[in-house]
Amino acid sequence: MSTRRSSVAQPIPRVALTWLLIAQALVMVPHLFHLPAWTIALWLVCALWRIQIYRMRAGYPNALAKVVLMAGAAAGVWFSRGSLIGLDAGSVLLISAFVLKLVETRSRRDALVLVFLGFFVVVTGYLFDDSMLLALFTLLSVSALLASLIGLQQSAFAERPWPTLRLAGGMLAQALPLMLLLFVFFPRLGPLWSLPQPAGGAVTGLSDNIEPGDIAELSQSGELAFRASFDGPMPPRSQLYWRALTLERFDGRRWSQSSVAQYPIEPQWQKRGEALRYNVIMQPSSRPWLFALDTGETSLERTRLMSDFRLERYRPVDKSLFYQVTSWPDAVREPEDSPLLQRRALQLPEQGEPRARAWAADLKRRYADPQALVQALLQHFNREPYVYTLKPPPTGVDGIDAFLFDTRRGFCAHYAGAMTFVLRAAGIPARVVAGYQGGEVNPAGNYISVHQFDAHAWVEYWLPERGWVSVDPTFQVAPTRIEQGLEEAVAGERSFLQGSLFSALRYRSIGWMNQLRLSWDNLNYGWQRWVLAYQGEEQANLLQRWFGAFDTRLLLIALVGGGGLILSGVALGLLKPWRRERDPQQRVFLGFERLLARHGLRRARGEGPRAFAERAATALPQQAESIRAFLRVYEAQRYAGRPGAVGELRQALTGLRRRLPWRFTRSTR
Amino acid sequence: MADTPLRPRWDRWLAKRIPAAQRVRLDQRRIFIVPSRVGAAFGVSLLLMLLAGINYQNSLAYGLTFLLASVGIVAILHTYRNLAGLVLKAGGGGAVFVGEQARFKVLLESSGRAHQAIAIGWPPAELQSLDVPALGLGECELSQPALRRGWLRPGRLKVESRFPLGILVAWSWVDLDQALLVYPRPLPGDLPLAAGRGDDGEESGSHQLGQGADDYQGLKTYQPGDSKQRLHWKAYSRGHGLLVKEFAALSGRDLHLDLDALEGDLESRLSLLCHWVLQFCNEGQAFALHLPGVQLGPDSGETHREACLRALALYANEQRPGNRP
Amino acid sequence: MRTKLDACLQMVNGVLLGKEHQVRLAMTCLLARGHLLIEDLPGMGKTTLSHALAKALGLSFQRIQFTSDLLPGDILGTSVFDKDSGQFAFHPGPIFAELVLADEINRATPKSQSALLEAMEEGQVTIEGATRPLPDPFFVIATQNPVTQGGTFALPESQLDRFLMRLSLGYPAKGAEKALLLGEARRDLLPRLEPVFDHAELAKLQELVPQVRASDALVDYVLRLVEATRSQPQFAWGLSPRASLALLAAARAWAFLADREYVIPEDVQAVLPAVVGHRLRERADPSGHGGGALVRWLLTEVAAV
Repeated sequence: MSTRRSSVAQPIPRVALTWLLIAQALVMVPHLFHLPAWTIALWLVCALWRIQIYRMRAGYPNALAKVVLMAGAAAGVWFSRGSLIGLDAGSVLLISAFVLKLVETRSRRDALVLVFLGFFVVVTGYLFDDSMLLALFTLLSVSALLASLIGLQQSAFAERPWPTLRLAGGMLAQALPLMLLLFVFFPRLGPLWSLPQPAGGAVTGLSDNIEPGDIAELSQSGELAFRASFDGPMPPRSQLYWRALTLERFDGRRWSQSSVAQYPIEPQWQKRGEALRYNVIMQPSSRPWLFALDTGETSLERTRLMSDFRLERYRPVDKSLFYQVTSWPDAVREPEDSPLLQRRALQLPEQGEPRARAWAADLKRRYADPQALVQALLQHFNREPYVYTLKPPPTGVDGIDAFLFDTRRGFCAHYAGAMTFVLRAAGIPARVVAGYQGGEVNPAGNYISVHQFDAHAWVEYWLPERGWVSVDPTFQVAPTRIEQGLEEAVAGERSFLQGSLFSALRYRSIGWMNQLRLSWDNLNYGWQRWVLAYQGEEQANLLQRWFGAFDTRLLLIALVGGGGLILSGVALGLLKPWRRERDPQQRVFLGFERLLARHGLRRARGEGPRAFAERAATALPQQAESIRAFLRVYEAQRYAGRPGAVGELRQALTGLRRRLPWRFTRSTR
Repeated sequence: MADTPLRPRWDRWLAKRIPAAQRVRLDQRRIFIVPSRVGAAFGVSLLLMLLAGINYQNSLAYGLTFLLASVGIVAILHTYRNLAGLVLKAGGGGAVFVGEQARFKVLLESSGRAHQAIAIGWPPAELQSLDVPALGLGECELSQPALRRGWLRPGRLKVESRFPLGILVAWSWVDLDQALLVYPRPLPGDLPLAAGRGDDGEESGSHQLGQGADDYQGLKTYQPGDSKQRLHWKAYSRGHGLLVKEFAALSGRDLHLDLDALEGDLESRLSLLCHWVLQFCNEGQAFALHLPGVQLGPDSGETHREACLRALALYANEQRPGNRP
Repeated sequence: MRTKLDACLQMVNGVLLGKEHQVRLAMTCLLARGHLLIEDLPGMGKTTLSHALAKALGLSFQRIQFTSDLLPGDILGTSVFDKDSGQFAFHPGPIFAELVLADEINRATPKSQSALLEAMEEGQVTIEGATRPLPDPFFVIATQNPVTQGGTFALPESQLDRFLMRLSLGYPAKGAEKALLLGEARRDLLPRLEPVFDHAELAKLQELVPQVRASDALVDYVLRLVEATRSQPQFAWGLSPRASLALLAAARAWAFLADREYVIPEDVQAVLPAVVGHRLRERADPSGHGGGALVRWLLTEVAAV
């Protein structure tokens, strides 16, 4: 038993230092992927330095060294991030401080600062990566940080690592129910002020202008684009045309978004037919547009339906985004003609593609009805030997001519671009729509995952009164692409995900692996759907569904009431108040003593039960037998180790009580 | 609550809530718990993390904030649990002289679980920290300077614990009803003749009083309580066992220490007497002590010494140990 | 077996009149494989008790009278040069007996005392480099005059701890003394005693004692007693773990003698004065002897239940 003095200014114990080193390593791991290399080197140097200080092989940095180190770190941030402010630079700066603090940690106070900095660094990590794996991993970091806190206590307990870790983990486990309660019921606020957002890295995905080759490139990517789950039954996959944006300008080579499309013009449309309700969780795309089936409306704030019926958010989607959409597939879109529409949807370059233009003029002559013309065009793609391939032969100038009349091999972008060109040349307003088609249904989770290789382009043309009509020339060439997906459509040429050997998607044919992949995907979807997306609106929806109402009072009642319940549960488990009571035999014996005390017989503190009982038997000769009977049972249970029900003992006491005359107070006999 | 006008009320309230006792078991009536300074820092950190969660709309940041806040709340139970059920017992302590450190022994007894890092002491002095094993016993010695003679009653004892996280402090103020006798500070000085001996005025100085004053009578076997100064070591080494030289205490030649025969202020007179009591006891002299209303001896030995010192400590300073001033 | 045990007690009681409790304690001590210290004035029947016990239990008996000129060799034995064989032959000392009465142990010098006590502790003696085991069972009854008698060497505390019990026979009651005076000389009775047990039976008894059940509740009581000696201010020092083991062992043997297969607090209380009395000192009087007041305090103040 040692006696120690307590103070915050005390040097930190060895065990706490070990915990701090471990905790720091665990906190740093998730950051390793986005930190500049020098920070990692700095961390390793600092950790080594601190270990050497502990081994008395090195000294603490002096004031000058500290200034130099801090300035060096700041300079490093400046050079690697180009600024000292902003989330990216700020996080590197914070981590540098976290790393440098370790070297000068001598007292408990320093250690506390280090631990709290550690918590911040963990939070910073969440801004860069919010996957489930990371969240689970950070539980380890947090346990280690808590263990450091415990290790700072001046107790022999804190010197033993496993009990310390068990206590830290135990406290986390006990805190978990309360944390869930807070998570569900704590009111979510909108951002209080705008903060620098993490810079999105290079994200593969649709861009606002495409050459035909671009989509072929996208089709090599197995990355997830978004997931969607429908409230009702899922429509057949051939109807799942996820619109992202329209490409209306053609410069002879590329299709790109029209500048007019940026103007916030409310499109005209009428809802018709059945509505589809679904929600979408988008992966970060660094683009402002959202994905929806035609024609969709969303309740997501600061998001609007643009003039070409795409949904656009006020700023690029930099982190995964959850939104709900209601779509009317049969809606009538822009039935009224307008000069602007004509100008946008008939634009063509001045020259080029002479054969296509000539063929368009010929078609126009033959078919007066635009609808018939479109049909004829589709028939053409169907009838002629066109080939759907991810590896089209390269074409030079007048790519559309070459594709339509020479090579006849192409990808969805080729077909959509060529068809739009021909329609426009024939005087029918048309445009290319870029987005995704189909997706992979996850049977376990009843949702659909859409990957980058599902990227697709199709055509919309405009008819007076009927408005915009969608049509997909690729369907004429390769119906499997639409009905079953890209993998089946290009099965012959083995070009599916050729570049990504390790993508799990490549191994869909192996049953158990696919099962595993789908379950894992489902787990991640649940994580995104129910954890990451649990913000203001989702909270309101959920609570509305659970309680039928949603207001502050409900939140308060749930928080206070639920919190109280959970805490009492934890308190019961921790304090075990029932343990404090003496064992049942003892309680009965106390009753025996009380009973005899009423007859003037009080057991002295040091008097054994038998001696007391004998004394009582002498004093109360008439009840002697009952007294001895009680003693026999008591001794048998308490000292002879004969297991017996307490009831037996109680019975013996009751027997004695009956034989004794009733006395209420203690007599002085 | 150092010296505020609320102090007396606070004391009264405490005395009612946690009455003085030799044995105190800490329970929910006696334990107070609040966040410590570290806890405040922890709270501020949580607030900042919550702001990050709100502004970045980041569920995981929310989650970590809530998790740590819940850990903080659960820590209330843990911190309380670490103190609850602890039994404090007064372990007594020996008498001291003014100017020395009075040492009080406090026993901490676990009535079930182990108690970690229990700090105990009288603020503002630093607290001592110790662990009490499950069903075990911890012991610590606390000291307080003895400034005045008489009964020394240390104030309420502070028992606190910050285990496990240090973000909360649970504490209690316990009065173990401890008291310890403080003897006057012994101050050497000359003893006036009248005070030094009986009525036969011999002229020798006080310093020579001890030597050869009494007649050697013979040996007797040692009995507990005999002065160790008079042990006949030579006989012991020869294997005759412990023998004690006996001196005849000649009546009329006894040494008398008399308060009234001295001059000066009361405290210095008591200090002088104290010095001579110790001196005579060391020399194995028999002596008598006269205080107004108190007459001790003539006698020698430990018991007499204790009685004299006690009388000196309590003279005109009668505070019962059980009564609060 | 049980009846034999009672007969044995009966037999010793017949020789030593009016000392049933002490005889029972001595028997307890033997069953618990402990050594016994009897502290009394001369002529109180110490020798008679030991002799009677030895007889009744069928043990070989030796008596060593301790004097101030007794040498360790007188106790343990010596090697003597034997002319016939031309070799040193070992002549075992009186300690090589099953029941050894060390009379007036405090009269001998500490050197001789420790020779005996070490033999007691280890169950073997080492003489001139050769280790010789002592017989089994081996039981020492040491007697000493109260230290208040002059010219003696009191046993130090560390040595006292090796005795399981300390007894004091005390003066006989009036009736017993009258019977003593009217009856035959006690020592004459001794040769007529017939052993009740043989060695195997005694060993069996000693084996049965540790099987007497000591429940949790009872061990808690023993712990409370021990803890009180360690924490209460009037005790100069607390009881050692050896003492708490001794207490439990003695209580088991006591319960065994009472024909019970479990220990109750009263058993502990019955042996407590004999087992811990010589191991305790008052703080106010650490050089004094005997903790009678302390034992009384333990018996009354420590909660028995």
